[in-house]
Amino acid sequence: MDQEQVWLEEARQGDKAAFGFLIEAYQTPVYNLAYRMLNNSGEAEEAAQEAFIRAYTRLQTYNPDHKFSTWMLSITSNYCIDLIRKRRALLLSIDEPLPAHPALMSEKAKGPEGQMVLSQQQEMVQSLLQELPDEYRETVVLRYWYELSYEEIAEMMDTTVSAIKSRLFRARKRLAETGIARGMVPELQEAAV
Amino acid sequence: MEHDNVYALMMDALDGELADYGRNELESHLRACPACMQEWGALQVVHNLFVQTPALSPAADFAQRTLARLPNQKQHVWTIAAIYISLLLTGTLPMLLGVWVVSTLGPALRQPALVRGVTQSLEKVLQVAGTVLSAIFSGVGEFVVQQPAVIGWLLVMVGVVSLWGGVFQHVLAPQLQRQSQTM
Repeated sequence: MDQEQVWLEEARQGDKAAFGFLIEAYQTPVYNLAYRMLNNSGEAEEAAQEAFIRAYTRLQTYNPDHKFSTWMLSITSNYCIDLIRKRRALLLSIDEPLPAHPALMSEKAKGPEGQMVLSQQQEMVQSLLQELPDEYRETVVLRYWYELSYEEIAEMMDTTVSAIKSRLFRARKRLAETGIARGMVPELQEAAV
Repeated sequence: MEHDNVYALMMDALDGELADYGRNELESHLRACPACMQEWGALQVVHNLFVQTPALSPAADFAQRTLARLPNQKQHVWTIAAIYISLLLTGTLPMLLGVWVVSTLGPALRQPALVRGVTQSLEKVLQVAGTVLSAIFSGVGEFVVQQPAVIGWLLVMVGVVSLWGGVFQHVLAPQLQRQSQTM
């Protein structure tokens, strides 16, 4: 039994400290997914916390045959989709300027130039992601940041592999069109695949 | 070649799953089609941007704060058990009590004299209640006719209280809330 399985077993018995190790191990992937989906650091942190709380209270339903990370990301992504729907129901304006991610302002970035480049890169990624419908955005994030296979994404989103391929296909097409519209495309070059 | 077919080849290329034959086919199409070449350029730019952008981490104390919010599972189980047992008891006990009452007092309740006595008592209670209610209604009616000014003042007071309640709720309470948030 590996360390993760030990923590899971202890957490199932109500050991919060054991679950704390799991939180530390998965906080970045869970938070990153929430932030990419919600595009707001405060909401992303709240969503990530809620996802961990839900996982803790539903540990009895976790099937150890599947990867814990996949189960955790599935809970996070479902919660974020619910949150986005509620947000739409409240008719909040999406034009409001959203706060920049705190990490972009931290000293972790390498100097002021590096920080600026990273900040611009993150902003560009977020603005492109916001062009996509929720389900496409979810697929793109899971594919790019978690390197999940089409089968794993399909299982997480409770759909078929062909549906996921189709979503990624359309999402990339839309992103390319947005890229062209924003002048992100380099000059015509020699065809190199 | 159909543009959708070209796009499918581009997707495979981005996923690193394009065979040599497909690669040659895509390259020759791109050389001949500037529109597809432009889209391929955009796809690559976006793909590389996403691949090179690192995952974001939460604040340093995220794990501690999340841990502090976790519910106490054992206490939770005991609470649910207590609620379940109390619901069970509140439903079961009256039922058992009813069965005991019916089984022990059943024969006595079937006596004709007892039934007649209970009926007569109920009739008298209803008569008394009717008399009291009619006295109250007639008294209130006479008061309204004789003292209209008092009733008017009462209505004015109710109006003032309602108006103040509305003003407080919609105007003063939000201001107080904003002040407390800024402090």
